[in-house]
Amino acid sequence: MNLPPQLEAKFQTLENRYPVKRSALIPMLLYAQDQLGYVSDDMIGEIARRLGLNTLQVTETMAYYSMLRRQRAGKYHVQVCTNVSCMLRGGNNLYEFVQKKLEIGHKQTTADGVFSLEEVECLGACTGAPAMQVNYDFYENLTTERATQIFEALEAGRKPGTSAPISGSVKPRHPAEVPVISRLFGVKDSHKLDVYVAHDGYKGMERALKELTPDQVIEEVKKSNLRGRGGAGFPTGMKWSFVPKESAKPKYILCNADESEPGTCKDRPLMEMMPHQLIEGIVIAGRAVGSHQGYIYIRGEYRYVLDIMDGAIAEAYKAGYLGRNILGSGFDFDLVTHTGAGAYECGEESALMESLEGKRGYPRIRPPFPAVVGLYGSPTVINNVETLSSAPEILRRGGEWYAGIGSPKNGGTRLFCISGHVNKPGIYELPMGFSLRQMIEDVAGGMLNGKKLKAVIPGGSSCPLLTADEIDVAMDYDSVAKAGSMLGSGGLVVIDEDTCMVDLARRIMHFYAHESCGWCIPCREGTGWLRKMLDRFHAGGARAEDIPMVSELAKNMLGKTFCPLGDAAAMPIISIAKKWRHEFEQHLSGKCPYKPADVLAAVR
Amino acid sequence: MADSKDVTLKIDDRDVTVPPGTLVIEAARRMGIEVPSFCYYPGLSLQAACRMCLVEVERAPKLQTACTLVAMPGMVVRTNTEQVHQARKAMLEFLLANHPLDCPVCDKGGECELQDMAFTYGADKSRFAEEKRHRPERKWSEAVYYDAPRCILCFRCVRVCDEGMDVKALGVGQRGSQSVIIPNGEDHLDCEECGMCIDICPVGALTSGTYRYKTRPWEMKYVSTVCAHCSNGCKTTLSVRNNEILRANNRDLSGFNKEFLCVKGRFGFDFTSHPERLKLPLVRRNGHLEPASWEDAIAEASRRLAEVHKASGADSIGFIGSNRTTNEENYLLGRIARASIGTNNLDHHRTADYPSLIAALGEKAAAATVTMTQLYEADAVLLIGDDPTQQNPLVAWQIRAAIRHRGSRLYVINAKSIKLRRKAREFVEVSQGGEAAAVSWLSGSDETLDPGVAESLSALKSALEKENNVVVVFGAELTGAAVRDLVKFGASLPGQTRYMALGDYANSRGASDMGLLPHLLPGYAPLADVKAREKFGKVWGAKLTNKPGLDARGMLAAATSGKLRALYVVGANPVKTFGVNANERLGKLDLLIVHDLFLTETAKLADIVLPAAAAYEKDGSVTNTAGEVQLVRKGGDVMGTRSDFDILRIFSHQLAEHGLGQAIRLRTPEAAFDEIRQSVAGYDLSMAALLLGEAERTSPISTAGGQAKFDAPVGAIFSAHDTLFASGSLGRYCTTILSLPEAGPKTTPEAGAHS
Ligand SMILES: Cc1cc2nc3c(=O)[nH]c(=O)nc-3n(C[C@H](O)[C@H](O)[C@H](O)COP(=O)(O)O)c2cc1C
Ligand code: SF4
Ligand code: SF4
Ligand code: SF4
Ligand code: FES
Repeated sequence: MNLPPQLEAKFQTLENRYPVKRSALIPMLLYAQDQLGYVSDDMIGEIARRLGLNTLQVTETMAYYSMLRRQRAGKYHVQVCTNVSCMLRGGNNLYEFVQKKLEIGHKQTTADGVFSLEEVECLGACTGAPAMQVNYDFYENLTTERATQIFEALEAGRKPGTSAPISGSVKPRHPAEVPVISRLFGVKDSHKLDVYVAHDGYKGMERALKELTPDQVIEEVKKSNLRGRGGAGFPTGMKWSFVPKESAKPKYILCNADESEPGTCKDRPLMEMMPHQLIEGIVIAGRAVGSHQGYIYIRGEYRYVLDIMDGAIAEAYKAGYLGRNILGSGFDFDLVTHTGAGAYECGEESALMESLEGKRGYPRIRPPFPAVVGLYGSPTVINNVETLSSAPEILRRGGEWYAGIGSPKNGGTRLFCISGHVNKPGIYELPMGFSLRQMIEDVAGGMLNGKKLKAVIPGGSSCPLLTADEIDVAMDYDSVAKAGSMLGSGGLVVIDEDTCMVDLARRIMHFYAHESCGWCIPCREGTGWLRKMLDRFHAGGARAEDIPMVSELAKNMLGKTFCPLGDAAAMPIISIAKKWRHEFEQHLSGKCPYKPADVLAAVR
Repeated sequence: MADSKDVTLKIDDRDVTVPPGTLVIEAARRMGIEVPSFCYYPGLSLQAACRMCLVEVERAPKLQTACTLVAMPGMVVRTNTEQVHQARKAMLEFLLANHPLDCPVCDKGGECELQDMAFTYGADKSRFAEEKRHRPERKWSEAVYYDAPRCILCFRCVRVCDEGMDVKALGVGQRGSQSVIIPNGEDHLDCEECGMCIDICPVGALTSGTYRYKTRPWEMKYVSTVCAHCSNGCKTTLSVRNNEILRANNRDLSGFNKEFLCVKGRFGFDFTSHPERLKLPLVRRNGHLEPASWEDAIAEASRRLAEVHKASGADSIGFIGSNRTTNEENYLLGRIARASIGTNNLDHHRTADYPSLIAALGEKAAAATVTMTQLYEADAVLLIGDDPTQQNPLVAWQIRAAIRHRGSRLYVINAKSIKLRRKAREFVEVSQGGEAAAVSWLSGSDETLDPGVAESLSALKSALEKENNVVVVFGAELTGAAVRDLVKFGASLPGQTRYMALGDYANSRGASDMGLLPHLLPGYAPLADVKAREKFGKVWGAKLTNKPGLDARGMLAAATSGKLRALYVVGANPVKTFGVNANERLGKLDLLIVHDLFLTETAKLADIVLPAAAAYEKDGSVTNTAGEVQLVRKGGDVMGTRSDFDILRIFSHQLAEHGLGQAIRLRTPEAAFDEIRQSVAGYDLSMAALLLGEAERTSPISTAGGQAKFDAPVGAIFSAHDTLFASGSLGRYCTTILSLPEAGPKTTPEAGAHS
């Protein structure tokens, strides 16, 4: 097959990038799709041939990833998010508006082939809700007016100009903030090497490489009380110490940039505005465990972020911060990015490894744990973007300094993404242990339109919800756990009194049913069942016996699934069914009594 | 005996001691505690997907999957608590939510693991009030159908096709609750059509095209017998209703093949009811074959044979036997030739040089050859010639399993890039027919080889020298002197070296063992062996001649030259097999008698055709290529014909009446086998084990000593190179197999397929 020269070059780079050729599969499919609008049968054959696979291996892998398609989409592929944060800020209205405007529905294409439409899951623009993506461009804080302008521009063949700055996360600092990892947010050209270096960039890495032994690096991180920012909050220093010192196989550092937990949108600005901080953190992790190769697995929707990351990596190589003999220390480290293609489950660490190996993102059986048998069967450290981005300042200023910022056993700061019904949604860097009440009432400017608070999702949609009476809690892993929920990924979603909790549960279950990988019975069947049941319940078909069944089914999933996605689906539902049982009862009349404010309509 | 490394744990308050690495689900099974499972399947990779096997483990915060949990010392496991039962019930409820629950019409009804479990756990009533997922049933091939709504996504089929078969024809489409199994051709299968996926499916999602909606499991009787096709000897269980064979499978995991069967073992039974099956004897009258009664036909055959004997002598008569008929039948045929007629003009289509191997190994022949199970246990396999994937599917399966489960290493010498190559450590590609030269080179001769080949052979040699336990598996590419060289090379290796010769058909080895050979008596006794001649002479009531007989090609040549006047063919199609010009060769005979199921090219020329029972219609024993003897069992009288055993027995009575030899008094195959056990070297086997359906290995010992000959006549031993979809002349009547696109261009029996 004759490929356009650019694609040919891209393919060749990808084919030679990984120790196992198949790893190139998903990126190749996505880049091919970017060129052709879809993946043709011929292309499937071509890619199979290049990677030494059979076509079934290609098609079955493709079928798993929601971004990959075998039918042509429009020139502009419009993806509207209706997940919780967007839904609370008019996402459904936006979706309806676009449907009417383009006169097409979900996964349909206009007759002239210019537009296609898809209702999508959380895009990682929660604090800029409602949001949509056209091809890889993000549009946030949308109103009907703004959306109209965008479509007019696109129809006229003009570029509408994305909402600037790109991730919409730069806003005036709140005085309570302690900017450490976000310290260059909003600084001009903060993604560039010289700007980063001018702000103490790469100093932590230099210390780790030149002044400390690997064990001392781990010690420093242990002292910092840094805990994983990906969701589970596992102590990072401890994780690094599990990697065997001696290994016949190469060791890997894997950066988890799959950010897809609804409500969470912090890794995106971290990479967009401070890519060098992440590179620095990854090299530090490499030094700590004796690894010389890193991969950043970035969710497929974040293409522009991947491009920024690639640019920064190139700069770092040129300046000697990556590659052979970094800063004359004798330490070598190589780093590449890798794109996902639409799958929340691929954020789960072992599924991510499968995906990076070019397969369907099914999680792996543990033990063995990644520290011993991870990527390509080798010892692997996998950490979240924010976790790794915290390492440079810890190494530069010391673990004790970092630990001192947070609360006991919960070192440092974290990026809290506050979305939903607040006046000032945004990403705020606050010390661990900061009061939830203060976050809502003060930092985020209080409730939108003076409405009353009904519920809070404290750390992404996988967490049990808290009621308005439960917000006097310090936001660190242990305190939130004590309050019966989880700090999770730092995605706070604030929900007001007008919101229907049944509808919310319904929307949450849609997400997990869509994202369940289908490996295990309780998650695959449980999410599907609950989704259908909640749809029916909310749409007027509520039966009294459904009410106890909702939580029973969720409890039948809880703790029994293969990976934590099943729990993630069950936990919010169990909490909603318990804490807002009366709202379920209200629906027995056959009508939903709640009328959420239409944020878009307000502007319309 | 408990090993010091063994692990003791407690399951349901009882101690159990197991080897390290044992999974809790297996440990429980040893104690008779059945932990329910769907995705777990011994020998395939672990999934932990179905969550049926959740158990309580002390100090573990959550329920654990017994199918992935490795037994640890002091572990305390509970499988019968309220929490565990509740979990099982919950998993079943989830599974049944979208399940069509069409058990009354489902092929699997009555033998479905899901149905059984739903019944056991009382989860047969669903609270699911939503609309079920709908998907139409798909026909993936004539052999394999898929019904998505019934599929529980245990991925057994995907794994058996990938890991077990190395075909990788099945995958998973979509994801989440939309997940489905998909075939490699988008809407159809392009694969080896083994049907392994069908039998391994715990529910009725994958069904067999030949069996669909035909009957219900409880309406059939089940007969465990041996596959009628290749030489590997897989056990297959026939499902029979009213003398009709409706399916073949090995779901009872009997035999050394356990779950394995290839396309022939599973779908190649329909030749038994092929419309062209011969039902009545045919006798040539005025140039035409016309139906006759059994009495008339056999009487005429024996009378005319006696006439030829009288007119032209014993050596004007020849016998060509079959590599599919049973040991008993072969033994009887040999007796008729040697004792009733008094000739050694006796042969069959030889597809492996078993005699040379046994002669080369001499006294060690039994110890130095391996069974199918021992092949699996080998640390290393050297494969020379053959294409086991196509010609010896169980051998290929065993080799793959050894590699997968035990880390065994495969080394291959072949002229073709056979499929097993991708599993090989070393592959030496020789020129067409170059296997023998390679072996000669390995054995230290001054054979000159292409330098590239010599280089890779020497790499292979040094790799083999590091192995402790090598099994050499070889095909018909090595005969005579090459087999002797091979054994010489094997003896030069530092480790243990054992062998397996690969032949083609269900009883190729038995034909050889029973002495359907011009130069060897049953049990590989040379004609020159006076003691052996006397022994058989005594048993058979005749004085046996030591005059060497003609081999098959020799007989056909003698027929042309007029030296051979009568030919008796049992279950063979020499016209096709030896590619002879039929009329020129056989047309001159005074008498041609043929036993067969069909009117083959050879039968068409016969004066008398006796319709024989098929392998699935009779009792007896067969010996696989590894020398493992197993009983075959009569599934039913599909066509109401007679077995070759009965025909030969009656024939001997009639010959005796004409003054030729003594009547055979062995009334049944069992009686004949008794005699074989006493008279044929190596066949003194345990009857009890055989009756239990087990395989017993023969221990042949060559008594040839210095008389052993390694100069098999050119062209005497050759493989038919049957593929998975071919089975000699018989394969031309396997309708289902022929209907598979993979079987290649359609060939009908009339058109005369290659045998
Ligand atoms: C369903 C699921 C999705 C996940 N998604 C992400 C993700 O998008 N980003 C992430 O960093 N961690 C995610 N995780 C957590 C990872 O499995 C893993 O714990 C994390 O990357 C470890 O990094 P940390 O120790 O730095 O937090 C997810 C976990 C699950 C179960
Ligand atoms: S819980 Fe099971 S089905 Fe759900 S994502 Fe994990 S492995 Fe897949
Ligand atoms: S019939 Fe055999 S080869 Fe074909 S898909 Fe099933 S398991 Fe694979
Ligand atoms: S078809 Fe059968 S074996 Fe295959 S996944 Fe479905 S239920 Fe399991
Ligand atoms: S048998 Fe253990 S999870 Fe399926």
